[in-house]
Amino acid sequence: MLNNNLTSKFLNFGPIILLYFLSISEVDASFENYFEILSFNLQLIIIYFWVLKRPAILGNGHIFFAGLINDVVMGYPLAISSLTYLSVSFVATYIKNMSVNTTLISDWFTFLIALLVSNLLFGILASYFSQIEIGLNEISYNTLFTLLFFPLFWFIFSAYNSILRVGKNV
Amino acid sequence: MSSSRDDFGIAFRSALLQKGAAQKFSLIFLIIIASLIFFLDTYKFSIMKPMRSIINDGIYRISLVVSMPTKFFPSLSNEFTSLIKIKSENERLKKELEIYKAKELDVNYLSNQNKNLKQFIDSDETLTDENIIVAKVLLDKDSPYLKSIIINRGSQAGVLKGMPVLDKDYLIGRVVETNYLSSRVLLLNDLNSRIPVTFSSDNTQAILKGNGGNRPILEYLPEGYEIEEGLNVFTSGKDQIFLPGTPIGMTNEDGGVDLFTDSNQLSYVKINLSRINKENF
Repeated sequence: MLNNNLTSKFLNFGPIILLYFLSISEVDASFENYFEILSFNLQLIIIYFWVLKRPAILGNGHIFFAGLINDVVMGYPLAISSLTYLSVSFVATYIKNMSVNTTLISDWFTFLIALLVSNLLFGILASYFSQIEIGLNEISYNTLFTLLFFPLFWFIFSAYNSILRVGKNV
Repeated sequence: MSSSRDDFGIAFRSALLQKGAAQKFSLIFLIIIASLIFFLDTYKFSIMKPMRSIINDGIYRISLVVSMPTKFFPSLSNEFTSLIKIKSENERLKKELEIYKAKELDVNYLSNQNKNLKQFIDSDETLTDENIIVAKVLLDKDSPYLKSIIINRGSQAGVLKGMPVLDKDYLIGRVVETNYLSSRVLLLNDLNSRIPVTFSSDNTQAILKGNGGNRPILEYLPEGYEIEEGLNVFTSGKDQIFLPGTPIGMTNEDGGVDLFTDSNQLSYVKINLSRINKENF
């Protein structure tokens, strides 16, 4: 019983661990060496999915700190990723409040809105308030591939979600 | 209609203000904090510099430890791949060696010409060992937007912003951020990179601009100038930051520059401390 509880608690930390790991480690979803324009933002998918499906296991504080860490590692202005991550969290929470039952298609469509909001925010903050120059093409390709990869991770995370017991979304 | 607007308002407010057992902070609170940090950092308030330096050093070290397991498998895979490729590469290198032997005479001629040119532009200083420090690449996380690496030398070792960074004798970028124990190097292929360069026998001047891809491009060329393929590109030193004559790459058929160094394969780099006494930028 105790063992089961421990396993269950550990599994609940899975999305947070993955989010922090992606932010702090060298692992990235940029595959420019294989295909020049292929890069996607897995963090946004993680945040959107888990805030929408099971917000109890991915708190906003963790999202905020993961963004800060990502900025330090990537060399972006501090808190720019936090703001984009929180914007995704905001859209996901809003959608969760407004909808009762969601499907892959509805999630995919609403994720597009979250993605556009977050990447637009990132582009505006980076272009107009910081000194770094960021290519519109890179942002566009990143947005496109993040959107395209969403269904794949939706299935993976849904399978993972089905084995979690606590904090079930209502 | 009114009810729908009310629903929208309630859901909107709830999303921003909601707190619960798992949500210790409301979204609006964290957005305000994040905005505050962003503007303090962007507009370089004095409080942020030491704070950011400490945070950077701490997170880079943690990141290095966290990334260790993920580095093991690619390196194993690379070893295996290189073993397979080694035979064909050996053949290719033998052929190249023949070509380079033939080019040796040209190199002697160019060396003499280079010495003369250095005397001409009054920059005949040479690097001494004390001017060069070797740094280990801590992190080279590939961002879709920024091309940079983290090295394990910072202001403690005398590294300042703007210092040129080399791989072997080839320029790979410059220091854009220094912490006490680490620094960030902006690579030549980053969108924000601009380096004054010279190439071809008539010392054509241009600016090498990163384009985010693997091949930086040449800008501000003389009007109507057409770039030939296969010309070596060197730093011109006109910015008073880089030593003139540091090799960078070779022009290609598209008018871009193929860098001599693959920025994805960097393990150790050299920093040239000789030129700068105060921070550039």
